[in-house]
Formats: sequence, C-alpha cells, structure tokens
Amino acid sequence: MRLLDHDAPIDPEIAAVLDAIDATLAGDPVDGRYAETAEIALLLSSERAAVRPEFARTMDERVARRFAPAPVAVSRRRRRVPREFLEMTGGLAAAIGLIVAIVVIAGGGHGSSSMSSASSGAASGAGSSRAASSPPTASGSKAQPALVPPNGSSSTPTLQPPTTGRKVVQSAGLELAAAPSRIDDVAQQVYDVIGALGGIVENSTVTQTGGPEGYADFQLSVPSASLGQAMGRLSSLNYAQVVSRTDSSQDITDQYGAAQRSLADARALRTSLLKQLAGATTTEQVDSLNAQIHDAEASISSDQATLNRLNHQVGFSQLSVEINARSTPAPVSHGNGGFGIGQAAHDAGRVLTVAAGIALIGIAALLPVALVAGLAWWVGSTVRRRRREQALDAA
Amino acid sequence: MDHALVRSEGVPGTLTASSVSSASTSWGRFEELYRSSRDDVYAYVFTLLRDGAAAEDVTALAFERAYRRRRTFDRRRGEERGWLFGIARNAALDELRRRRRVTALVSEPSEPSDASEPVSEDDEGEVALRRTTVQTALAKLPAREREILALKFHGGLSNAELARVLGVSESNAGTLLYRTMEKLRKACNATA
Repeated sequence: MRLLDHDAPIDPEIAAVLDAIDATLAGDPVDGRYAETAEIALLLSSERAAVRPEFARTMDERVARRFAPAPVAVSRRRRRVPREFLEMTGGLAAAIGLIVAIVVIAGGGHGSSSMSSASSGAASGAGSSRAASSPPTASGSKAQPALVPPNGSSSTPTLQPPTTGRKVVQSAGLELAAAPSRIDDVAQQVYDVIGALGGIVENSTVTQTGGPEGYADFQLSVPSASLGQAMGRLSSLNYAQVVSRTDSSQDITDQYGAAQRSLADARALRTSLLKQLAGATTTEQVDSLNAQIHDAEASISSDQATLNRLNHQVGFSQLSVEINARSTPAPVSHGNGGFGIGQAAHDAGRVLTVAAGIALIGIAALLPVALVAGLAWWVGSTVRRRRREQALDAA
Repeated sequence: MDHALVRSEGVPGTLTASSVSSASTSWGRFEELYRSSRDDVYAYVFTLLRDGAAAEDVTALAFERAYRRRRTFDRRRGEERGWLFGIARNAALDELRRRRRVTALVSEPSEPSDASEPVSEDDEGEVALRRTTVQTALAKLPAREREILALKFHGGLSNAELARVLGVSESNAGTLLYRTMEKLRKACNATA
C-alpha cells in the first residue's frame, strides 16, 4: 500500500499530534489542544479485542512445540521420513548424477578420440588406391605375418591385400602429429622401427625449431612382409598421434609375366643365334649373327633389370611418413601402457574441462528458466498484492 | 514510541519471564516477539476480519509463518514487529479473499476491553455516546484508513512499524495517521 512515495520531513504540527497520540496510549498527560484527539485515541484503543484465554493457552502450547504437529502414535511418527534425510538423499543423488554425467561425457571424449582414430582409418581406406583387384586365390598361398601392432595398441591394422600367387606392389603413407618439442623423439622412434624391421631409410628430413613449428618427412622402404608390422608400430609411437593413413596396392602380375616372357624369348633367341653362329661360313653371316646376338643380350639385360626392379618393388614396400607439429600435447607414452602422472594430469584436465562445459551448459539452460521463473514470481506477487488490496478495499 | 513489551496483556506468567539466555538465538528472539505481539496481532486481525475464530486461525498462521521464515528476517528493513504484522496482514487479507465476504470494520467487537477506571452513570452514558459517535464516524472512513487506525490502536504499532507494514516511509506513515485522525475527528464533530 504505497499511498505516499516521498519521504519529506514531517510537519511540526503533525509531529505534535502524533506525539500526543503516543503519549495518550502510553498513559501520559497531553496538552489541552490535543484533548479531542486524545479522547478519540482512547476510545479507539478501548475497542481493541482481547484474546480468549483458551486460544492464548493453545497458542502458547504450539509455540512451545515450535509449531510441530501434535503428538501422534509412535508407529506413525516412525514411518515419517525426516526432511533432512530427504534433502540429504536428494543432494547425494544430484551429486552422483553429476559425477556420472561427467564420467560418461569424459568417457565419450576418449571415445571421440577413438572415433577420430577410426575415421582416420576409414579415411585411409577410402584413400586406398588399388590399381588391380586381386582375385582371391586359396591354393599355394604363403602365410602373411600378423599385422597387429606389437604393443597391442588400438591403432587400426594395416590393410593387407590378398597377394597369394600374385605380384603385388604395396605402399603406404602415414601422417603423424606430435608436440613440436617431440619431433626429434618421434623421428628417432621411426628410425628405430625401420631398423628393427630391416627396412631402409631412403631419405629423411627432420626439422625441429624449438618453437611451435616442426616437421619431419621420411621416405622408407621396408620388406613387404613387414609392412603391416611397420605400420602398426609407427601408428603407436610415443608422443605421436595418427592424423591420417593411406594404404595402396598395385597388382603387377601381368607386367611381371610379360617381363619374364620377354626375357625367356630373348634368351631363346640368343641360344638360337649362337647355334646359327656356330654354323656360319661367311664373314658376312658371322657379322650379322654377332650383331643380332648383341641385340638379344641387350634385350636380356633389359628384361632382367625389369624383373629385378619388379621383384624389388614387390619385396620392398614404399612407406612415406610425415610428422607435423601440433599445439596440444599428445597422450603420454601409450607404448608402455602405464598410468603415469602425465596421464593422470591429462585425465584430470579432461574431467575439469568437461565439468566446466557441463556447468556452462547448465547455466545456459537454467538462465532463461530462471528469468521466466523470476518474471512469473514478480507477476504473481504483484497480482497477489493487488488482490489483497482489493480484498481490503472491499472489506 | 516503541511499544514492544508494553501493549500485550493477559499473557501467562510462565511465558512473560525474560529468557535472556535464549534471546540471542533466532528462537529466543521469536519467542520474545511472540510474547510481546500475540495479543496485538490478534486484535489487529480481529479488526480486519470481525470474526473471532477466523482471527484466531489467522493469528496462529501468521506466527507459524513467521517462525518458518524467521531466518529471512532482515533487521535493516525494520523491526521484527513490523515484519510480523506484514505477515499477519497478508494472511488476513488472504482470508478475506478466501471467504469472499465483505467485512465491516465498524461492527461491535465481541470482547471490548473494560474501562480502566470506574465511572459514574452520567459519565458512563456520555462515554457510551461518545463511543457510538466514534464508531459511526469510523464506519464512514475508507477501509485503508480504518486499517491504519487498526494497526495503530489495536496492533499497537509505532509509526516506524506502521511504515514498514504499509510499505511507506516513517514520515509518510505519520502523515497518513495524522490525516486519518483529523478526518475521524471532523467526522465525529459532524456526527455529534
């Protein structure tokens, strides 16, 4: 009921009347000028209703009980669940729910990391170029080495085309990411893996600036039988993460067979020419046969070189490894499978990040709800206050 | 102008005893507030409702609400009696709304207090006449002005407490009370 909004100093005459009223109520004498007001005050005060003794006693008892319900049967009281228990249970449930949500989302974060790895594998599969589709051949196949990485990491196994009885050239590409300060470490691990598998580093470039940049590039040649193993190991190097991976294969069986036939033909021709040379009688015949033999031998050498090159291509796969610097640190040492301080710190940071994200989302979700609730509360209290005033006016 | 511990009457002696040790706690302060204000709250609510049973219910409800909300009391916004009467006022007005009944504030109270001093028959007749005059004049006042008088003379509030209940400043509350008294005085003279 805001009848007046300003707070001006009270008029002295008004203050005198108010003092007279208070003095009258206190039983003190008042100035004769305010006798009429004092009389009215006394009459109004005498209209004051008194409390019934029964009600006074009942109220005293209720206050003494602190407004607790009147005592009832013990069995009923025992069944009643205390409010504190409900509040504590509710708070505990909310805390557990929050922890579960954090754990689930944090687990989801690792899951997304695995998905990233899987997608890179999928990308490598999509990028895989197979020049020749190898027919499945069962007989006479040689057992291929297991392609699972030796440390059993979760990296995607190398795609292995069916090579039984066929001449297949394989190549692969691997793009890794590592912290700038770890480029050298990762590069050294690449050398170690290739050396252990009997491979060859055809050329390499390693650049570590000490700053946020770094780069390494390797052109490798590894025995084809060890390609899968090499890819597995290189995909699980410490301090490095696989960004992308490419597997390629090309069936050169026809090309290899053609080279073999050409070599056989050239050899047969040389044999024939040598027999003809033995039977030659004139100088002209001898010279002509010698020239043809020379050509045949050149052809044999060429075909032999082609076969050697193809054999090398089949026996040794080309492997391209590229290491780029990235800003975020890699998961520490998943090669040894241990749970160290670094891993714990990483997980803790992840949990805190997820928790902060959840809190932010919660705030973002609750803010409009709180605004609407606040507005509803304000409207409700205003309407309620107005209705109360209306009830008073109608009284 | 502070009427705390002065206006209440008829409170059992066991409860009027001072509890100094518990006065500093929220419960102790509430108990003290109850002792000093129970009768005042009842008288004010009765004036609003004109129904003894309803006034008792609302008085009990007001004290229970005050007990439940005692930790929300903010002394910077005024004394506890003003806060308590605000609660009682809301409860009484809610009761008025609930009953949807127009309650006249001028009907005869069921248990008016006795005169403090014995008077002669002539004086008694004159007082009764004067009281009737005041009641008639009071009936002509708007409900809000009657409520101001109820808060002041039946609830026993100081002007500061009156201001808190009405939601105005203390000087404005005093001015409102003065104007209402002047209006009532002139109405009494006109009726006489």
